[in-house]
Formats: sequence, structure tokens, C-alpha cells
Amino acid sequence: MTLLRSAQAPAKGDEAIPMSVAGFIVIAFMLTMYVLLDGYDLGVAAIAPFIARSDRERAAAMESIGPFWNGNEVWLIASAAALFALFPIAYASSFSGFYLPFIVVLWLLMFRGIALEVRDHFNSGLWHQFWDAAFSLSSALLIVVFGIALGNLLRGLPLDDSGYFRGTFAVLLNPYALLVGLFALATLAMHGAAFVTLRVEGELGARATTSVLDLWWVVGALYLAVTVVTLRVHVPANVSWLPVMPVFSIAALALLRWGALKKSAVLAFAASLSFIATLMVASARTLFPYLLPAFPAEHGGISIFTAAPSSVALSCALSVTIAGIALVSIYGSFVWRRMAGKIRVE
Amino acid sequence: MDPILVDRLQFAFTIMFHYLFPIGTMGLAPFVAAYTWKAARDRDEESAAIARFWTRIFAINFAAGVVTGIPMEFQFGTNWAAFSRRSGGVIGQPLAMESGFAFFLESIFLGALLYRRSGVPTTFTAWAAVLVCAGSWLSGFFIVATNSWMQHPVGYSVAPDGTIHLENIWALLFSPFLGWQFAHVLTGALLAGGFIVAGVGAYYLLARRDEAIARRFVRAGTIVGFVFALLAVFPTGDRDSSDVTRYEPVKLAAMEGLFASTHGAPLAIIGMPDDAKNKLIDPIFVPDFLSFLAYGNFNANVNGLTAYARELWPPVDLTYYAYHVMVGLGTIFVAIMTLAMIFLVSGRLWRARWLLWIVMLAMPFPYIANEAGWTVAEVGRQPWIIYGLMRTAQAGSPTVAAGEAIFTLIGFLGMYFLLGVLFLYLVLREIGNGPRHGTFSFFGSAQDDVTPLRAGSGEG
Repeated sequence: MTLLRSAQAPAKGDEAIPMSVAGFIVIAFMLTMYVLLDGYDLGVAAIAPFIARSDRERAAAMESIGPFWNGNEVWLIASAAALFALFPIAYASSFSGFYLPFIVVLWLLMFRGIALEVRDHFNSGLWHQFWDAAFSLSSALLIVVFGIALGNLLRGLPLDDSGYFRGTFAVLLNPYALLVGLFALATLAMHGAAFVTLRVEGELGARATTSVLDLWWVVGALYLAVTVVTLRVHVPANVSWLPVMPVFSIAALALLRWGALKKSAVLAFAASLSFIATLMVASARTLFPYLLPAFPAEHGGISIFTAAPSSVALSCALSVTIAGIALVSIYGSFVWRRMAGKIRVE
Repeated sequence: MDPILVDRLQFAFTIMFHYLFPIGTMGLAPFVAAYTWKAARDRDEESAAIARFWTRIFAINFAAGVVTGIPMEFQFGTNWAAFSRRSGGVIGQPLAMESGFAFFLESIFLGALLYRRSGVPTTFTAWAAVLVCAGSWLSGFFIVATNSWMQHPVGYSVAPDGTIHLENIWALLFSPFLGWQFAHVLTGALLAGGFIVAGVGAYYLLARRDEAIARRFVRAGTIVGFVFALLAVFPTGDRDSSDVTRYEPVKLAAMEGLFASTHGAPLAIIGMPDDAKNKLIDPIFVPDFLSFLAYGNFNANVNGLTAYARELWPPVDLTYYAYHVMVGLGTIFVAIMTLAMIFLVSGRLWRARWLLWIVMLAMPFPYIANEAGWTVAEVGRQPWIIYGLMRTAQAGSPTVAAGEAIFTLIGFLGMYFLLGVLFLYLVLREIGNGPRHGTFSFFGSAQDDVTPLRAGSGEG
């Protein structure tokens, strides 16, 4: 049984088709939420060594994400669970195919969690320095790894006939994927700095604003480079609105700079969220209907039509994930508003 | 080396290590919720100190649970790809429910619970504590639902290519196997919670410190421990093993070390199973009692292992010993807690230092009993990964070699060793510092919390 070469939807009238499409949208949405939310706490960690100068300032940077990081990370776990329920074949192929990279991501996620949780349990400068460094390093690495993963998805993967990934590290670390990894690091570091601006007052907040403005140039340049290369690497999808996406991305970037210059932290952070969201939408639309496109592209890949289980399972998983997302949005925003005060550094 | 064996070892190690923390989370959450409510209502300093103390311990426990829980969600895909491909449409559902309905709930409200600004909990904090508790129990429910389906699959159909399709999600969520299994799991966790709270209190009493607070701990812990020690035996343990009798008879035979099918089967209290000679060595029996437990009739026939093909046997020794460890400990828990209860009610407990010693030293054993119980459930299900439907031997990832899995297993061993040391150190230090130690300081606000752990830190 070959799973590849089936980008075309199965026979018309199959009730599972709209549900498979909805499933793709749900997963794309959840991963976007993950990048937007965990993105800022990863970004704060990555930028912290450059903007927080004293132990107290680093503690404040940690504190700005302290109550939120755990809830944010659940979006990743929930995305994995949703992928499992909606598209088990894609879940199994990608997770086992990228065995070592996935386990490394796991270790980084665990190490990062440990660092964040144990830092303030012990009153010692050395202890804090060690865990701060561990936290920043593991977070920065995670961002790069996620970027490399996205780059490889956009480029396509060497899949065998039964849809399992057969490749080596060298395949994954191709120049295009590395470029996307670098872009992810710059973008989320800027995102994190924008978040610090939003939550922390005083010198640390001011330094964060400066670094948003500095990083802006790097992000802008990398954005242009990635966009140009993506058009060369990937066969452009024939979607009328996709070419318009860069307009939105650039508009969001412009707004971000304006917000940072105007010292409007809310505007800058909102623009940063929008910028990342446009990137995620563009990536998702580029991939559609594939979950794991093959490389070279003529081989097709694992699409939502090959990877979906029965329509009963699809409708169940869709109801569960959509209801879950709705509930989380309600109480998540409620809790967020209760805890969104500014942090002052003495 | 057989990659499946390494996959199994890695899964067993990561899940057993992980499960240490959900025991504490599910077991301590109701204490945290109750103490936080009491503090929010009474607004007295002692109640607030108690609420903060258990919240601190709970938070350390929760963090370790999250950190070790992340790999569980991933390992189905990384190490068990064939299993995930065939059954993902079914078992993905309860797992998606777990993260969508339960894990988000506990994580987001834990943030709210830890992020309080002043010393005394507010009603908002108290609600957050209740929702964290609800989330942790709900999370347990969906995880046990997943496992329950692997023990006794329901509501599915099998396609010609072997893929297992979901037919009815309600059948899965209301599976006849699930109710008592979850009740037994939750009872085990609450029993552990009672022992922890009572044990910490007993320690303070023995150390002659914080005695007023310690008595509240011992009282609450003993009552909860007593109730749930009884409930763990009857009805939940009894009903759960009846379900095993009905749906997984081979597992039951292995648990009891019953080789030959017998009318009026005896219950082995101790003895060593020998699966070469097909007999129990040096047993001590209670005559006819197994038949009674399994079928409510002293004369009923209970199928022994030899009634089934040998290739359908689970590893007999491990299943047998794990089961007897669990049941033996369960009996001892009932004895300890009954004794403590009698002394508590008659007002002699505070002077009975020998009993306080026992209560304190009993703390680790509910963990062992819980782990042993899961060992029975999982090892006893072998050679199946999904009972009657799919063999464990066919469930691995075709792309993952044994060497890779050994590498990651060693990595997990190292990581978890570090985590275990940190966890023990942090929790023991909280207990050592005691409930009156300072104010709350996790992500404590810089404005109005005195944060003793952070005060004076810094390089300057």
C-alpha cells in the first residue's frame, strides 16, 4: 500500500473531506497559538542575557513569563494530541521518523522547565547564573530546532513508500532549513523583547524596547531572504491570496517599528503577534493539503486525505479540539487579565 | 538486541517515573483546595500558612509532573509508531480530551494559584485551587480511559488493512472496564495524599515543632488515609479485579499464580510461582477464597494459566509479585490507618510516639503500591498492547533502531536522575523549613511579597 501521491481528495461526496480540511485548520491554528504564546516566553529567555544586566533584572524577566509559560506549553502538547487523534498516520510517521530530533526537543523542553522552576528555590548568585544560562540556551536552541523543522516541512522530506521518513541529520540540516531556523530565532527574540516591554517597567523595559528596534532590522532582512528563497525552494501553490500575504507581513512589521518608536508597548506586541500569525498562515497555506510533503515535491507526501482516520473519529476529534480551544480561550483570557499587571524592578 | 524490548524498557521507566508525580498531584490537590478555601474564608494567619505550605509542595510536584509528562505524549509516536498508526483514531481521542479539557485547565489555573500577590489567599485563589484539583482528576480520568481501552477495547471496528476505527466514543468513555479502574486509581492517589499529609504532620510532632499545625495535618491525613485505604480494598480494588476476571482471565491467573483450572480455587497469600514446573512453590493458601473473590461463589471454577496457550501468558513472576506487593501493602495501609484512627478518636495519638513513627515512615509505601498496581495492569496485559487486538511485538516504530532507543533511554535515565535529586531536595527542604517559613514566593510579585528566597540575592 502506498500512502504517497495522493494529494487529490478522494471520491466526491465523501463526508470526511470537509472534516479533514477542518482538521488541518484546527492543527494549524493550535500550532500558531503555540508559536504566538510559547513564542514570547521562549523569546524572553533567548533575549534575557542581552537585556537583563543584574540578577534582579533576570528574575524580573523570568517573573514576566512565570505564570504563563506552563499554560503556553500545553498548546504544543495539545497540538501533538490533536494530530494524534486527527491524523494518526502523520503523527506516527513524523514522530518516529524524526526520532532523535524529537527526543532532543523533549530534553530541551524538560531542561527548560526544570530551569524555570528551580531557579528561585535557592538563594545563590551562582545557582541563579547557572539556571539562567541553561534556560536561555535551551530556549534559544528550541526556537532554532522548531525553525529548522518548519523549514524542512516547507522544503519537503524524503519519505519512503509507506510514508515513513528515511533520512539523516544531514538531510534535515540543509541550508534552507538553517536559514528558517535563524529567522525563527530572530523573530521570537524580538517577540520576547516586545513582551518584556509590555510587562516590565523601568530600565529593563527601556532596554527591551531598544532591542526590539535593533532586532527589527535583522528580522526584516531575514524575512526578505526567507521569502525569496522559499519561492525558489517550494513549488508555489496556486492560491490567489497567498501572494498577498507578504503585504500583511510587511504591514505588521512596519506597525511594530512604529509602535516601538512611539513607546506603545501594546501596539508593538500586538503587531509582533500579527507578524508571526501572517507567517504561520502563509506557511500553513503553502503546505496544504500536505501534513508531511515529500521531497522532491513530485512524490506528493502524506496529505490530510491519506492520514485521516474514519469520519467518526474525525468528527469526535474535531468536536473535542474545538470545544477545548473555546474553553481555553474563555478562561485563559480571564486568568490573563487577572495577572497582567506591570512588574517593577527595584 | 530487540528494539521492542528497549522501547518497552524506556516506556516503563519514563511512565513509572512520571507516575510518581501524578500520585502526588491527584492526592494533594484536594488538600490544597480545601486548605486554600479555609484560609480564604477564615483569613487567619495559621490557615494561610498551611495553604501556602501545601501549595508550595504541590507546585514542585506539579512542575516535575509536567516536565516528565511531556515525553509521554510524544512517545506513542516516537517509539510506538505502528501502534499509533493502527489505533490513533481511537486512543488519540481520550488523549486529545486530556490536553484539551484537563491539562489546560490545571496548567492555567496553577499559574493563577501561584501568582497571588498578598499573603492571604483570596476567593479567586481558592477557586483556582479547586479548578486545578478538578483538572488533575479529569486528566487522570482521560489517561485511565486510554489505558482502559487498551485493556478492554470497545466501540471500535477493524478495517481490512488492520486499522482500528472508532465507532462510538461514548462506549469508550463509559466502558464497563473504566469506571472501577479509574475509581481504584484515584483512590490509590488519595490514599497516598492522606499518608503524605499525615506523615509530614507526624514528623513535626516527633520533632516537637509547629505542633498545632502538625495536629491538623495528622488529623486530616489520617481521616482521608483511613477512608481511602478502605475504599482501595473495597469496593474499588475488589470490583476492578472482578473486571479483570471477566475481561482478562489470563492476567487474573497470573496475578494469583493459579496454574491449573480449579473449582474452589484457593487464594495464595504467599508463594513463588515457577512457570517451568507450572506450580506455586511453598504457598500459603486460604482455601476456596479465590473462587469467592472472583465469582462470589466458593465453588466456582477459576481458569488457570494452563487453560491458555503459553504464548498468551504474561510474564508470570512479575505480574504475580507486583500484585502481591500491592495487595500486601494495601492490607498494611488499612491496619496502620485503622490503628491511627482509633488512637485519634480516643485522643491518645499525640502521645503515642511509636505510632507517629509508623505513620511518618509509611509515607513512601503508597507510592510503591500505586506503581505495583500499574505494573500488574501493564505487564499482566502482555503479550498484547491492545488486549486481543494487537501484539506488543508488532507495535514498535519500524524506523527506530535498538541502538537509538538505548541512547535515548540512557539520556532519560540521566535526566530523571537529576530531576529526582532536585525534586527530593526541594520538597524535603520545604518540609524542613516548615509551614511557618516566610510568605509565598514562586513568581511572587516584587511589590508586596516579602520573598525570603530572593531577598538579598543579586550580584551587588
